[in-house]
Formats: sequence, C-alpha cells, structure tokens
Amino acid sequence: MNAVELRGLTKKYKDFEAISGLDLSVGAGEIFALVGPNGVGKSTTLKMIATILTPTAGTISVFGLDTVRDAHRVRELISYLPEEAGAYKNLTGREYLRFMAMVFLKDHARAEAATAFGEELCGLKDRLKDKIKTYSKGMARKLLLARAVMIRPKLAILDEPTSGLDIVNGYEIRKTIKQLAAEGTTFIISSHNMAEIEFLSGRIAVINKGKLLACDTPAALRVKFSTEDLEEVFIALAR
Amino acid sequence: MNIFLVLFKKEIKELLTRQLLISIAAMLFIFAVIGKSVGSHSRSSGVRNSVVLLDLDRSPLSKRIAGAMRKAKAEILPSGAANIAAALADPQFAGENSFILLPAGLEKDVAGQKASRVEYYSRFRRDASGLGPALAAGRVRKLSTAVSGAVSAWALERRLPGLSADLLKDPAPAREFAVIDGRMEQVPVAQVVAFMQSQSYFFPMAVFFIVMLSAQMIMTSVASEKENKTLETLLSSPVDRRLLVLSKLAASTSIAAALSLAYMLGMRSFMSGINSIAGAGPAAAASEALARLGLVMTPSGYLLTGLSVLFCILCAISMAFILGILAEDVKSVQTLLTPLMMPLMLAYLLPIFIDLSTANFGIKFLLYAIPFTHAFMAPQNILMGNIQQVLYGIAYQAAVFAAFVLLAARLFSGDALLTLRIKGFKFGGGGR
Repeated sequence: MNAVELRGLTKKYKDFEAISGLDLSVGAGEIFALVGPNGVGKSTTLKMIATILTPTAGTISVFGLDTVRDAHRVRELISYLPEEAGAYKNLTGREYLRFMAMVFLKDHARAEAATAFGEELCGLKDRLKDKIKTYSKGMARKLLLARAVMIRPKLAILDEPTSGLDIVNGYEIRKTIKQLAAEGTTFIISSHNMAEIEFLSGRIAVINKGKLLACDTPAALRVKFSTEDLEEVFIALAR
Repeated sequence: MNIFLVLFKKEIKELLTRQLLISIAAMLFIFAVIGKSVGSHSRSSGVRNSVVLLDLDRSPLSKRIAGAMRKAKAEILPSGAANIAAALADPQFAGENSFILLPAGLEKDVAGQKASRVEYYSRFRRDASGLGPALAAGRVRKLSTAVSGAVSAWALERRLPGLSADLLKDPAPAREFAVIDGRMEQVPVAQVVAFMQSQSYFFPMAVFFIVMLSAQMIMTSVASEKENKTLETLLSSPVDRRLLVLSKLAASTSIAAALSLAYMLGMRSFMSGINSIAGAGPAAAASEALARLGLVMTPSGYLLTGLSVLFCILCAISMAFILGILAEDVKSVQTLLTPLMMPLMLAYLLPIFIDLSTANFGIKFLLYAIPFTHAFMAPQNILMGNIQQVLYGIAYQAAVFAAFVLLAARLFSGDALLTLRIKGFKFGGGGR
C-alpha cells in the first residue's frame, strides 16, 4: 500500500484554481519532495494531505484512509510542520514538546516517551527550560521539527523544513530526516533548496500553476533534461 | 527636500492606514446614528415641560404662583384631585412625571408671615433612562425659584407689617418627594438623579472596558495562532475541533468570570462609597430615603448583575472569536474590533441621551437587539424592580452566545478558518 495517493486532486479558491487534477503516489518510507516556484500550490497540496483543507475535487488517501471521510484517523498517522510555523512563545521548549505530545498521543506514558525523544532530537539541552520567545530562529525551527517527528508519525509533512536556517542547523535537520526515514517514517517535504532536495529525496514532483510537470528520481530528471544540475531542471520546467 | 518633511511624510503614510480610516468612518457613523436617534426621539416626545398642579389653596396667591410657573415656560396641567395620592393615581396624568402641590392655607400662612411648604413630586419610571431624570431635577429647581419669587412679590406688594427678611428670602420652602414604583419618599430629587446616573453612566463604562478587554484578548489569541501557524498544527492533530473551540472559549470564559467577579466587587465598593458619602451628616436621612425607595442593591441583585455582565462578556467573546478567525493577522485585530465596537458604543451612549420609556419602537428594537445593552441597564433595572427584564435580557444574551458558539464551531471545522480572511474588510482566499 502506498503511503499517499493523490487522484485528480483539485482545489479552487472562488474562481481561481490553485491545484488542477494532481495525480501522485508516495511509497511508504520514501522521502518525497514537492518543488515549484512560489505560489503554485505546494502548500495548498500539503495542507490538503494534512487534512486542514478539503479538496474541491479528487481524492487523497493516506495509508488507504480518505483524508475527508476518515480525517480523524488520518490525523492519528500524520504530523504536519507548516512553513514558517511558530510555537507558543510563553511556553518553555520542554513544556511545548510535552503539550504537543499529549495533544497528538493523548496518553501520558507515550507522551512522556515522545517528549524525551523530542528533547534528544532538537538538541537544545539546557535551553529547553527557557521560554521559546528567547530562542533564535534556528533553535525554534529545530524544536518544531523535533515536535513534528517525536511522535514517530507514519507520515511527516514538512513545508520548507530548513527555510531560513544557517548551514549547520539545516544540515542537522536534513540528517535527522534521513535517519527517521531509514527507521520507516514517510516524508513529504517542500523546499526551494535544490541541493537539499537532491540530498534528501528519493523522488521529486515539480508542479507549476497547480499542475504536475514532472515526477521522478533526481537522477532520472537530470538525464531527461540533459543536465547535471537539478536547478536547471527546475528552471526549465518552471518557465 | 527637508529631511524632516521626508520623515514626516513617511510617518503619516505609516499611520494613515485603511484600518484607521475605517475606524474613523465607523466612529462618525455611530455618532450620526446617535445624533439622528436623539433628534427624532426629542421631536417625537417633545420637550417635556408639563407639570401637574394640585392647588389645594385655591387663592389669589396660588393663581399668581401658577402664572409665575407659566412664565417660567411650564405647561400647567391643573388637577382637581383631593390629595397627591389621587393626583398621582389619576389615569389622565399617567404619563406625567412632575407634580406640584400648593397646600391649603398657603396664602393665609404667608399673610401671617409664616413660611408655607410647597411640595414637589418627581415620578421616576422603571424603564426611564437618558437625560429625563436630570431634566426633572432641573425643572424642580427652576419652578421652585419661580414659586418663591411669586410668593415674595405677593408679600412685598401687600406691605405686610413687620415682614422678615428671612421669610422674603424663602417664603415657600420646597419639600421634594421622589415616587418610584408606587413608593414615595421625601428626598431631594437631585440626590435620586445623582444615584440613578451613577448606574446609567459609570457602571456601563466599567462593563464597556471589560468587554473590550475580553474581546481584544480572544481576538488576539485566535489571530496570533493563525499568524504563527500554531493553529494549523493543532488542526492537523487528532483532537476534535469542537474541543479546540471549547477549550479556547472556556479559558476566555474563566478569565471573563474573574473579570465579572472583579466588576461585582468593584461595584460593591463603589456603592458603599456612594452610600458612605450620603451617610455623612444630614444626608444620612436621604440615604435612608433612597433605601426605602428600593434603591439598594441586594445580594440577589449583585448576583443578577454579575450574571448579566458575564453573559455580556461571553457574547463579546464568542463574537470576537469569530472575528479573530476572520483576521488575517494580529495587526488586523484593531480593525476587526470595529464591528464589535459599534454596537457596544450604541448600547452605551444611546440610553444616556434617550429615555427608553418613551423611545419609539425602532430605537428600542435596535438597543435591545444588542446583547450588551441588557448588561449596561441591569443595575438600573434591578434597582427599579424590573427583575423580569433583567432575566429576559440574560436569556437573550445566552441565546446570542449559543448562536455564535455554534457558528464558531462550524467555521472551525471547515476551510473557512484558513481561507476566509479580512484585511481592511476585504474578503479573499488563502495563500497557496
């Protein structure tokens, strides 16, 4: 069974069609990248997979469950990290992880275990007892990423996971994603960083103006577009 | 160009936002509505200058007093009743609020150089509001001066032997009575008016600030969750969305309850402050008279007021919650408070200028449709024995609250939460 199946996925905002008949499949344990220029419907697609927006037409299934009909059950399998998401600034890092673990797992013992894993993943150590408002952007993003994966979801949906981070923080986050994928978590990520995409993902889907333009492995795309540079593939498709 | 002007122009451009212009336009609209309502109310009710005159003396002096009152622009409505109770109960004068009694033997008393007391009765209605009571107090003062002047002139013209200066200064001392809900007490009308105004001006002002504070609190909370995208995280979690709405409302309600409690405690100390002022020296009698008129807040009165204020805050919180959902970001909160501010200001200001007991149906409908009005008027209604109206008001507020909570829950379970947004009152789709 595929982790995610998109069939004829369409999303309209009044007269504007943000996504037009998107068909995609993501295998279990895969790191799948969704790329495209700004405003072409990547975030909308991720939000629909995360059950917080409903498709205008078409279907999405997550591990065989329909995201509209079985939204609640889908939410038990996924974790979503929005682009440029924030956290509750008056909570400490530890309180935030504990709160989110309880919200997602609803079981005290499991939540405690997830919190401990989250604390280890984010690597914030003593700073976890400080309020989030005192964190740098990189620290906050690492905390949020830890939050997204500490519950060991079957599917993690990460919108621009390393956006705005420095090289060291970005590298650490990419390493964590790779490690968790190896342990069985499926990832769908969107990013503008082609080097990151190439490093992380098994397959890439390029979308523009709400339509799927190409979907393949980085190597296959380079061959298809006769280039060594994935950015050139992107530019050729985005034009 | 001068660098100051460059900076000045930049500041003006930053300050003069669409949000500010909308707020100014809304404010102008509110004052236009109030002005128009007050104007039409005054035209329809007419300037009330009528006074029921119960002349038990039926002497040339009493006729002269009536003439002096007419000169003071009072419309005299003569009553043939045998006593004041009968005059007050006369259906012909059911709509009248000012009564003057000229006692039998008035002329004889003055001729015998004895001050004779003229009695002034002011009737306060249960649902009276606006400037009516204050005008009644002013009318009593004005007529009392006219009566004294007429009596002094009469005494001087007759060159009464041994006429004392004291008698000339105040030949017909006023005895003022307040009549509320069939109860009558001798008390200066100004004191009753001051007490009533403390209910209709200061308490609503306190509630106004609490409501604004609560509304701003929850709107900022929802808008900030949207802006920080913490809401998106919560929405993707396996938590029932109704639970998300309820937890937010419950938390705000707890704070609103604390605010309500603070309001009640503040009100108690305010009332005891007023009573302690009234209780000093000769005013103690007036304080007792106010109590006998029923103008005292009982524990159940405090409870009802607190409930009404609590539901008023709950209505504001539920409305603000929806407005917060529509807000694009925390900055939009200021603009989005305007739809809440408008009814709040109308509910606060209109009853100050308009007497609801005589207002037309349109104004009454507008005011009572605003759930905040019921809390603003609760203390006054309780003091005037209008308990039923307070209970109806609380029931109405509860219904409005329930309707808005249902709407909020509906918005929370659909796309609207992320896609419906207002920026300067312009609806648009969400980001892609």
